[in-house]
Amino acid sequence: MSPVTEGTAGARAERTLEALQQVTDVALAYLPLEELLGALLERIASILTSDTAAFLLLDESRQELVARAAKGIEEEVERGVRIPVGKGFAGRIAAERGSIAIEDVDHAEILNPILSIKGIRSLLGVPLLVEGQVIGVLHVGTLTPRIFTDDDHNLLQLAADRAALAIERARFYEQRRGVEALQRALLPDHLPAIPGIELAARYRPSAVGHSIGGDWYDVFRLGGGLIGLVIGDVMGHGVAAAALMAELRTALRAYALDGHPPAEVAERMNRLLAPRRPTTMTTFAYLVLDPETESVSAVSAGHVPPLVIDPDGSTRFLELAGDPPVGVSNATTYHEHHFAMPTGTSVVLVTDGAVEVRGEPLDRGLERLAALARREPGVERLATAIGHGEVTSGRSNDDLAVLAVHLAELPDRLRTSWPAEPEALGAMRHMLRRWLGRRDADADEVYDITLAVQEACANAIEHAYAPGPAAFDVDASHEDGLVTVAIRDRGRWRAARGRHRGRGLPLMEALMESVDVQRTDEGTTIVLRRTIGRPVAP
Amino acid sequence: MNSIVRVHGERHGDTPVARVEGEVDASNADAIAAKLHALMTNRSMALVVDLTGTTYLDSAGINLLFAFAEELRARQQTLRLVLAGATPIARMAGITGLDRACPTHATLDEALAAS
Repeated sequence: MSPVTEGTAGARAERTLEALQQVTDVALAYLPLEELLGALLERIASILTSDTAAFLLLDESRQELVARAAKGIEEEVERGVRIPVGKGFAGRIAAERGSIAIEDVDHAEILNPILSIKGIRSLLGVPLLVEGQVIGVLHVGTLTPRIFTDDDHNLLQLAADRAALAIERARFYEQRRGVEALQRALLPDHLPAIPGIELAARYRPSAVGHSIGGDWYDVFRLGGGLIGLVIGDVMGHGVAAAALMAELRTALRAYALDGHPPAEVAERMNRLLAPRRPTTMTTFAYLVLDPETESVSAVSAGHVPPLVIDPDGSTRFLELAGDPPVGVSNATTYHEHHFAMPTGTSVVLVTDGAVEVRGEPLDRGLERLAALARREPGVERLATAIGHGEVTSGRSNDDLAVLAVHLAELPDRLRTSWPAEPEALGAMRHMLRRWLGRRDADADEVYDITLAVQEACANAIEHAYAPGPAAFDVDASHEDGLVTVAIRDRGRWRAARGRHRGRGLPLMEALMESVDVQRTDEGTTIVLRRTIGRPVAP
Repeated sequence: MNSIVRVHGERHGDTPVARVEGEVDASNADAIAAKLHALMTNRSMALVVDLTGTTYLDSAGINLLFAFAEELRARQQTLRLVLAGATPIARMAGITGLDRACPTHATLDEALAAS
């Protein structure tokens, strides 16, 4: 090898190294995508001493290249130039996945008029590749005729390779931030706290590109102590599926809160969705749990069957099959199913992403779900395991949702705390009714004790004017037939004012054996006592 | 009104009838009062409140009915309650004296016949 060639090789190596450093600069990694592309173009143009440089990124759904960043030909981006894959200079690079050089633009097929208007004479372009897939094109141009060397080709491809990785990473984080924000906005940020009801839920976006899907869960209180539980799955992925999911979640809630029973809710959902056929097929299951009667009414619109874990730990799936997904046909009727849910029972609702592995029958996934449920005690641990993809051993790419509910025993000594607002009264009553019912109080006793306790709670709410979020406690105990309930607030006792007030205390006295009002500086405690099995009211 | 109670307003001839279904408590008593006020007219002799479908009635609801009985009396009108037999609601009306503050009837037809 002659010294001259050596020298040239040395200079080339140095140039390559400098170029590498320029485009792999770690500082670039922290830039948002638009700024990253701009910074890369500056550096590439300077390394290759070109007059123009541009990134076009692939719009996959339309199979077009879109100008995203440009130097020297900024109009490209401003005008939103789009080049079909396979057409023109950039389009051919994307289609052929190889570099193309044009030494004399005047005689070549150029689709983009801006390139000719600017007086560009020579062009060199390379594809942006990630794992063999084209994600865009990078090209440079000169205002004077130029013959691009192999070195120029290699350098530009090197820059393109680094840029492709950086773009992909920036897109990934951008998308993930978007997905996380969307998810936070779409799913309930907390589950209702109901004594005697244990709830756990998880949502996990799709493993592919962390793209959000159309899965959802929801839990809400209905009147009369009932609890609405929903799991659903809008077909498809991405923002469109998520937006439709948000719409359907709200619609279902609204129908349910309007008092429609499960089958009618499903029929209304179907009527809402059917005109949008065929792209919007949605499955869901809607269950209404009545903790007092320990029963559930349910409807399933083509959804994965709910798993029941009986109090003895054995598992079975609820037979809700038969009704189709919503949005398939206008003329669909839905059937309501009723079943008992004794204290100690759990129900687990999942979407297919939690159980289904491609190429395997769904029953296999369901068997694994049941086996996992027998191993993991408690809905919280079970939901965590399912949320981590344990049923599919990570072999599902789909997004997944899980909602699990456990009807827990209310202990003989019950301690509960409630927000000091009138809406808490209904929920408190239903919990107390269930607690009394489990202690063999008869219907009148349940009514009387519940009413007396509620009157004390209404007092507590009225008096709760201590600073900070106000709350009151209801502690109940049952011993040898004697029920004692203490209602405690942190406000000052005030005598009832107004002509039609002040019936609370006489009512309590009429309904209970004893009513003790203890007033201190810290608050007021009302202690109510009544023996079950001995009537006191006329 | 909230999800635990529903008030259906009807007119039978000139007589306004409010059928209260579900649970009446401090969370919805004000909304129910507004609904009852909206039903009152000067043309009728009575306002009928049908509590047959009421499953729960606390002192906020009792107070509300006492106040209505008084308000109607001042207008030379009568509040008539429909209380079905031996229900907890009828028992509460007895304990609080509500059944002595205004006429009560076992059925809606009976209340309308008296109006």
